[in-house]
Amino acid sequence: MENQILQVKDLTVKIGNSTILENINLSVNEGEVVAIVGPNGGGKTTFVKTCLGFVKPSSGYVRLLGKKPREAIKTGKIGYLPQKSSTPKKFPVSALDVVLFGLVNTKLPKKKKIEKALEYLDKVGMIGFKDKHYGSLSGGQQQRVSIARVLVSEPKIIFLDEPATGIDVLAQESFYEFLKQLKQEGMTIVMVTHDIGSSAKFVDKIAGLNRYLHFYGHPKEFFHKDILKKLYGSEMELIIHSEECVACEHFRFKIGEKKC
Amino acid sequence: MLEVLSIPFMQNAIIGGIILAVLLSVLSLFVNIKNWSFINVGISHATFGGLALGVYLGISPISLGLLFAVITGLLIGYISKKGNIHEDVSIGILFSISMALGVIFLTLTPNYTSDLFTFLFGNILTITKEDIYTLALFTTVVFIFLGIFFQKILFCCYNEEVAFSSGINTSFYYYTLILIMAVATVLAVKLVGVILASAMVILPAATSSQIFWHYKKIITSSVIISVLIVLAGIFLSYQYNLPSGATIVLIYGLFFFLTVTGKNILRAG
Repeated sequence: MENQILQVKDLTVKIGNSTILENINLSVNEGEVVAIVGPNGGGKTTFVKTCLGFVKPSSGYVRLLGKKPREAIKTGKIGYLPQKSSTPKKFPVSALDVVLFGLVNTKLPKKKKIEKALEYLDKVGMIGFKDKHYGSLSGGQQQRVSIARVLVSEPKIIFLDEPATGIDVLAQESFYEFLKQLKQEGMTIVMVTHDIGSSAKFVDKIAGLNRYLHFYGHPKEFFHKDILKKLYGSEMELIIHSEECVACEHFRFKIGEKKC
Repeated sequence: MLEVLSIPFMQNAIIGGIILAVLLSVLSLFVNIKNWSFINVGISHATFGGLALGVYLGISPISLGLLFAVITGLLIGYISKKGNIHEDVSIGILFSISMALGVIFLTLTPNYTSDLFTFLFGNILTITKEDIYTLALFTTVVFIFLGIFFQKILFCCYNEEVAFSSGINTSFYYYTLILIMAVATVLAVKLVGVILASAMVILPAATSSQIFWHYKKIITSSVIISVLIVLAGIFLSYQYNLPSGATIVLIYGLFFFLTVTGKNILRAG
């Protein structure tokens, strides 16, 4: 049996009188990359927050590393990159300080922590910015530093909530390249995204979430008119750019036509 | 000028003022990065209700002031965390109720005027040796706590959800920090009064962060600036017979505006 890192069983989440998630069932195995997609307000962020223990389920349960979420996070082996950071621009820390936050719960000596933080800043290509004010970095650079903060604790699973939002196209491309590299290294990733096209190229599974889990499976099966209609509530036309067609406005195709 | 150092109450004022300046300027970093200025104003004003109740009942005003400050601080923290009522609204309601209670208690107490003025604006003459011991003990405990948990608290301020997902007990640090703020504010009342106590915990880092961006430099410069300003305030208030709290806060304010103006001129140049 494959090693289940995340298991969600009959999960329903109500906030006040609204039901945000209803009867969600899914599991994520070790080394899998899952993209959670769906319309705004469909419960994607609430799903992640429930997996991490910020939000309590109304019924059903979540098991993370085989434990309840609030117990699992105490292991320090869960990584989380929230939707566009709420940290004020003037927050008085350097890029290195941010990565060191990822080691705050470990018992390493200070020197070792700094060495490790520098190693991960190097890994994300930000070593040259280690002493720069975090708030002065561009959106893409901040994202890289935050990813280093997430990875430095050597997590078993990472949750990314719209990691490519608010960064420019080039930075997005390079960010997705980096995620592909992480996937190759065997990292388990659960990622909320609106960028179905880019993520579909490398994720193992897509979870289509809009209160209910409308779809959970391989990306190839996801691009079906009926599934998209059920998920987004209206007819959709999707443009997917293949590796070959760089400037391809001419290569629009309708859902179901799997060629560019 | 130096003869003031030989006067016992001035010695108390100077020692107490230095300890307070160091304590509040370190806490000032958190007030500024968490945008807790109004929380602090709320806590310091709420203290007034407790102080007045103490005078009315004839029991230690500072103890009851402390109780009011702690309860208000924790209530504000709880409401703001739950998010049912907007934080600013809850602060406004709580501190005005506490101040209104204070006014009623003092009105019911005969010969209250001198106490009222002392509570509102501070009086360095009232700082005793016992106050200094309390202040020194509290400051030591706070610094040991910060020394051990500083990075975790800073991480919580950076992003509470991320810190929580890293296994940090964010609620513990949140409420402990509010508790520390409440106690520190009450301890500052004798020097600067409830109206001005919040200034001493807002202005130091607000000024330093105009010059420096890193927290270590902000803390170091805040401490230096605060100690110098408090000393200057005490000496000037003694020299020109001015209220100590108002003098100290005015110098803080002046320094803040000079820093902002200087920074803008340098940037434009």
